[in-house]
Amino acid sequence: MIKKNRTTFACILILLFGCVLFYTGTDGLRAFTAETARVNQLLEDKPAFPDVTFEDSEGRTYPISEFEDKYVFITFLYTACTTVCPQLEMNMAQVYEQIPQEYIGKDIVFLSISFDPTRDDPATLSKYRTFFGSDGETWRMARIPNETELQTLLDTFGVIVIPDGKGNFAHNSAFYLVDPNGLLIEVMDYQEIDQATAKVTSILESQKEE
Amino acid sequence: MKQFLIGLGLLFVLALPPVADLLESIMIIHMHMQMPSIVIAGFFMGKLFQQKFPQFFEKWNQNGIPGILLFTVIMVYWTIPKTMDETLTITSMEVFKFLSLSFLAGVPLRDSWKKLSERAKNLVFIFFTVKYLGMGVLYINTNMQLCNNYLVIDQITLGWGFITTAICIVIYLVYNNYTDQSIYKE
Repeated sequence: MIKKNRTTFACILILLFGCVLFYTGTDGLRAFTAETARVNQLLEDKPAFPDVTFEDSEGRTYPISEFEDKYVFITFLYTACTTVCPQLEMNMAQVYEQIPQEYIGKDIVFLSISFDPTRDDPATLSKYRTFFGSDGETWRMARIPNETELQTLLDTFGVIVIPDGKGNFAHNSAFYLVDPNGLLIEVMDYQEIDQATAKVTSILESQKEE
Repeated sequence: MKQFLIGLGLLFVLALPPVADLLESIMIIHMHMQMPSIVIAGFFMGKLFQQKFPQFFEKWNQNGIPGILLFTVIMVYWTIPKTMDETLTITSMEVFKFLSLSFLAGVPLRDSWKKLSERAKNLVFIFFTVKYLGMGVLYINTNMQLCNNYLVIDQITLGWGFITTAICIVIYLVYNNYTDQSIYKE
């Protein structure tokens, strides 16, 4: 039978091969871009927040354990950015405002991390934070002065930053949520503000009930 | 044999790390120059395979359809943003790119193209036109970064590259089908 319909047989075989190729290539048709694959992978791995030292807009320095027993809502940015970052921070501000006030500062802290430590010194961050209604306490903006620590964090959380040679960076953006144990538990679309707010609020509520 | 060596040499040069890095540093060159060049390298090498294994091609690619199908599958696979992105970060994907585009796309293309009827050829061209138009619109209109390793501006350039390619294919199709080709084939 095969001998007679070799062409048909070969075509079917190739189509099957194609299906397998596309299925594995897109992680089971779930990820067509490396970004989705990255997020899926992060949610599976739940990496721990690496040990880094922050220097915030008020000039204070502290390690990540400063936020122990609290959820931390994180974004990555650089203040000289004129495209995605302001948008990202505006959206973050909306989440910040929509989450019930009782949780803010007590159960959850907002943290914007700059990946451009050379330019984003405390003074710059201090000025930048006022544009978005960050109070410097329950929503902090900080840089990581140590290059190695910064790179470790970016690698762990899959943040890819490419300098474009003109002092700007291209980078992928998202909302990150780290749990009280320092594990990354959520990566959310920064353009879906209501969805992110609902998710964070429900996590905070369930935490309260426990 | 000479053609095989040309193809092999081309593949080898393309695979040299500095050359590969250079070509891959610009998105549109990665997609529209490096990848087609690898296919061309395979196309050159195909002749030797045809001479060595004439029976295999005769048996399994009698009318050219299976070969062109394989070619299409591989070509479509490498236009998925994720696969292209991964060649830059995962070495095995990079190796697979070179092997698949040369041996699974270039070689079958060579064996199939002459066997295909005019109609089948047109269908292949139309398929790629539609696909390229679609990919072009996708890359131009998506403000999100589809590939983590490239800038959005590179992505838009690539989008226009796709559309330009599609337009060129259409011009060729019209020219080929509305002019009398037989006068050139004396």
